[in-house]
Amino acid sequence: MSLSAIIVMIASIIALWGVASYALIVSIRHEEHKLALIRSQGDFEPYSPRAFRDLERWLAQHPDSEHAPEIREWQQSQRQSMQRNPQRFYDWSHAEDDAREGP
Amino acid sequence: MTTTISREQWGSRFGYLMAVVGAMVGAGNIWRMPYVTGENGGGAFLIAYFLLLYLIAVPGLMGETSLGRYTRQGLIGTFRKVYGDNRLVGLGLVILIFNIVLMSYYSSIVGWSIYYAFHAVIGTFTQTDFDTAALWRDFSGNTALNVGMHTVAMLMVTGILLFGIKGGIERLAKWMMPILTIALIAIAIRGVTLPGAMAGLEFSFSPNWEYLARGETWLAALGQALFSTGLGWGIALTYGSYLGRNDDIPLGGGIFTAIGNTSFGLLAIFAVFPIVFAFGISPSSGAELAFVALANAFGSMTGGYFWALLFFMGFFFANLTTAIAITEVGVTTYREERNTSRTKAVLTICGIIWLLGIPSAMNANILGYLDFVVGNWGLPLATFIIMIAIGWKFDAHRLRVVSLNRGADLYVPRVWELVIRYQIPAIMLGIMAYFLYSNLGQTPWKTISGLVILTLMIPLCMWIMSRRHDTPYVAKPKGGKSS
Repeated sequence: MSLSAIIVMIASIIALWGVASYALIVSIRHEEHKLALIRSQGDFEPYSPRAFRDLERWLAQHPDSEHAPEIREWQQSQRQSMQRNPQRFYDWSHAEDDAREGP
Repeated sequence: MTTTISREQWGSRFGYLMAVVGAMVGAGNIWRMPYVTGENGGGAFLIAYFLLLYLIAVPGLMGETSLGRYTRQGLIGTFRKVYGDNRLVGLGLVILIFNIVLMSYYSSIVGWSIYYAFHAVIGTFTQTDFDTAALWRDFSGNTALNVGMHTVAMLMVTGILLFGIKGGIERLAKWMMPILTIALIAIAIRGVTLPGAMAGLEFSFSPNWEYLARGETWLAALGQALFSTGLGWGIALTYGSYLGRNDDIPLGGGIFTAIGNTSFGLLAIFAVFPIVFAFGISPSSGAELAFVALANAFGSMTGGYFWALLFFMGFFFANLTTAIAITEVGVTTYREERNTSRTKAVLTICGIIWLLGIPSAMNANILGYLDFVVGNWGLPLATFIIMIAIGWKFDAHRLRVVSLNRGADLYVPRVWELVIRYQIPAIMLGIMAYFLYSNLGQTPWKTISGLVILTLMIPLCMWIMSRRHDTPYVAKPKGGKSS
């Protein structure tokens, strides 16, 4: 086999099998973490700090939208979960205070 | 908030991931991808393919899955939630019909793989001087046998779907996909250790960079990335509708599904082409490659019975998990729309597919025609319709904020919205226009008739759904659950 074919072959293995295996392992580990939190405290916060900021930004931009009540409900559920539960699924070490205070 | 019928959920993360990747890994990964890769510049094709996979398939699958998870409905129910109860719900019916037509002829391919798996079990290919070309010729010419195998395939699909999402689809995928992986790895190890096998890898991976400047390479990569991942067919949407509210989508439903599916294509390259080149067989694709060339090669190998058994059982598993997924789109939708039991929905949809599939089983030209129409325009149109629904009507921004990033293992940034709104619809329109341009001169009758059927189908489906809207319909929730 030529050197270029070997390089492409190895790169393909890393880009496909490597990424797929990594995604599978991380996905299953995170699921186990979620299940452990559900078993120990009932639930966990559904949004990451960045996702929660997006949610709040959306509400600030569309306060009168027909979809606003639904998004407020998700926002409320996130806040209640964070107040109720001592353990977090996401890393809030840099964003916890902002998220609790809201917009 | 609206009320939805309470529904099953996947039993485990591993089960969902195996089911969704099993849905996408089908015949195309095994008998098409190795040849397409080698014919389009090897490594150059793979680079184009990876780019398109990450730019189109991964974001598209994320969108389709998260819409299904948000609505917790099948195709028509999702379109009703997005468009309101009006004639545009007919667009969901259009995609459903594409799925049923697709399955009507895919069932014949599942039947072929069952037939060859059976022959592998009884050791046909290792008989002295066995002529695999004659077997394929005789099988193809035997109408009754083809209809019989189509019937067996649909009976298997029916039996599995009757057990439901968790007890049927998930349970099956959890052991079939690992077995398929092990089978392909074992064949690949055997293949690359054969004398002359390296020429097969050289054919597949050697990069011809000039191919990157050719439009045909990018179109072949685009076709493979779209059709192999099943984007826009309603499968990801239907499977996503059985996910929990806080399940991850971007990493599992997007990246793992698209990359995992392609990983099977790469595995097939290692499993198939070293054997093809080691036995001096001309590289090809499709039924000719699997049922004639490879069957012949297995018969000549030491331990050929074992390798043929592994390959044809794996090929059958890959086709069966895809067939189950395509059929489930109809089953979920029918069950919700008619507010009926799963058993009745499975029997009805499988019965319709079985009836519609008989002409394709009897005549390969009908199968080829349907594949031509559905592959060239039906599936790109379905993808276009779903992406417009997500990007513009539902609003890609709202979907990303409310559903896609909820419970996500991976944060999806705002650029995803641009891909869904502009990039994928534009590419779908481009691909349909290209297929029209390239086929009109060569096969004018097939092209025009296919386009006429598709063009009439959209207003017809919209009319049907507007009639249904006019007729009072009261859903009777079973254990109503708010969403």
